[in-house]
Amino acid sequence: MAQKMGGLSQKEADVQMMLAADVHLGTKNCDFQMERYVYKRRSDGIFIINLGKTWEKLQLAARVIVAIENPQDIIVQSARPYGQRAVLKFAQYTGAHAIAGRHTPGTFTNQMQTSFNEPRLLILTDPRTDHQPIREAALGNIPTIAFCDTDSPMKHVDIGIPANNKGKHSIGCLFWMLARMVLQMRGTILPGHKWDIMVDLFFYREPEEAKEHEDEEAPVAEYTADYTAPALALPGDQWGADIPDAQWGAPEPSAIPAVPALAASDWPGTAVPIAAEGWDTAPAPLPPAAEWNAASMPSIPAAQVPGWDSAQPGWTPEA
Amino acid sequence: MAERGGGFGRGFGRGRGDRGRGDRRGGRRGPRRDEEEKWVPVTKLGRLVKEGKIRSLEQIYLFSLAVKEHQIVEAMLGPQLKDEVMKIMPVQKQTRAGQRTRFKAFVVVGDGNGHVGLGVKCSKEVATAIRGAIILAKLSVIPVRRGYWGNKIGKPHTVPVKVTGKCGSVTVRMVPAPRGAGIVAARVPKKVLQFAGIEDVFTSSRGSTKTLGNFVKATFECLLKTYGFLTPDLWRETRFSKSPFQEYTDLLAKPAKALILEDVDKEALV
Repeated sequence: MAQKMGGLSQKEADVQMMLAADVHLGTKNCDFQMERYVYKRRSDGIFIINLGKTWEKLQLAARVIVAIENPQDIIVQSARPYGQRAVLKFAQYTGAHAIAGRHTPGTFTNQMQTSFNEPRLLILTDPRTDHQPIREAALGNIPTIAFCDTDSPMKHVDIGIPANNKGKHSIGCLFWMLARMVLQMRGTILPGHKWDIMVDLFFYREPEEAKEHEDEEAPVAEYTADYTAPALALPGDQWGADIPDAQWGAPEPSAIPAVPALAASDWPGTAVPIAAEGWDTAPAPLPPAAEWNAASMPSIPAAQVPGWDSAQPGWTPEA
Repeated sequence: MAERGGGFGRGFGRGRGDRGRGDRRGGRRGPRRDEEEKWVPVTKLGRLVKEGKIRSLEQIYLFSLAVKEHQIVEAMLGPQLKDEVMKIMPVQKQTRAGQRTRFKAFVVVGDGNGHVGLGVKCSKEVATAIRGAIILAKLSVIPVRRGYWGNKIGKPHTVPVKVTGKCGSVTVRMVPAPRGAGIVAARVPKKVLQFAGIEDVFTSSRGSTKTLGNFVKATFECLLKTYGFLTPDLWRETRFSKSPFQEYTDLLAKPAKALILEDVDKEALV
């Protein structure tokens, strides 16, 4: 595709991001069913995945996800740590149900179990490590979407998205893209605009990294929480336009260097009502270290909107 | 212990078909009625059936949905469903304190009109085994395809094609027969075929048919295959329809507890 004057098409921009995240790097082995997605084999033996096809498969998967009327019937799963954060964030933004960590055998087949769930769709990060849910889904008529590397077995996988499922940036990037596509197709986000949520939110954080971040944030927590109150109170789609109060418009973005992620990323533009609900349910399953962002502003009801002016001094973060 | 086991074996061996039937039928008593009324569905399919959204088993078969609760089948076929204990087989395990005997019950269930089920359950007591086997039989109900031998007059009465089923060393072969031939088979498969609703058929079996378990499973397998056979009248392309889970997704989205509470309230009012 010829490059346009200044900008790239959505697909090209996405592909560039995927290249940066190493999504195109496969492994030294290639499963015969993945051959169609491979571009070439590098001199050091690694297979390169054709990202154009990855993008198209992502679109296909997003269409399937959007076709499910009740998003709660979708289960996103990752046994591996690299995918857990991405999976949780994905579920948060699309309304799906996330399972991070061990998949108790029998969740889809044993009706006696308390965790018995009959999903309509299953999304996995790795067919090899998540083989147990694949098997159970096959028994329960559940279609499966999975991110498949060049050496992943495609048995019982209905939609395989060719991608690198080994690197944390790669997994995060893919889930972020899939979430964005789903929201665009649903109409929650407009296709032209950039999604306010940063990709970094979907990346896996090493425990030490997360701990450092927490230590930095801890003393600043209450202070920043007050700042976040105005941010939350404002309905998202009036971000740039109708700002009745000039006061918070200026300090909000610049005066909080310690919380860049909070200001920019945890704030889906038009997805306020959805996100609010998501946060209601999200805090519980999220690992505390990584999720202080969301946890520090859990169920803040919309009712606080009119009253924040007066209530602000006395407002304490609900943690 | 060993003597008792031996005694049972001989007793049951003799009264295999008839005695078993008489005894077991009498064994069921009143108290079970309470449990049967309060069915709380656990699976999505169960909930749809309880609501009455799914009227026939064929809808379930069309989408290959897994039937996990026997009440689903009872709700569809209910009164027409008859069951029969084919055999109670004592099986033993050796322990250092003698033998540990358990009873294996083979139960065939059917409505005589195209649906059969086979259940096998092993338990320490005969009654428990039979009860469990009946439940398993209901869970395994299968549609049986019937066809014509020659002229297509009246209702289908025989198998549509020659089919064969195998279990262990036993193979059972069913061949279409003209009307009036009746079920030409041994005592065991005859029972199963009667429950299936097949009126005329020629059968042929091979292998150790003495092993009732395998014999019965082989005929069941055979019946299973009747709908697996592609005949020219099935050549037409299928028109796909929405799966019940998709159609009734709003109803299913409501949490189960809410539905139960509603029911309880209604009962309380009445």
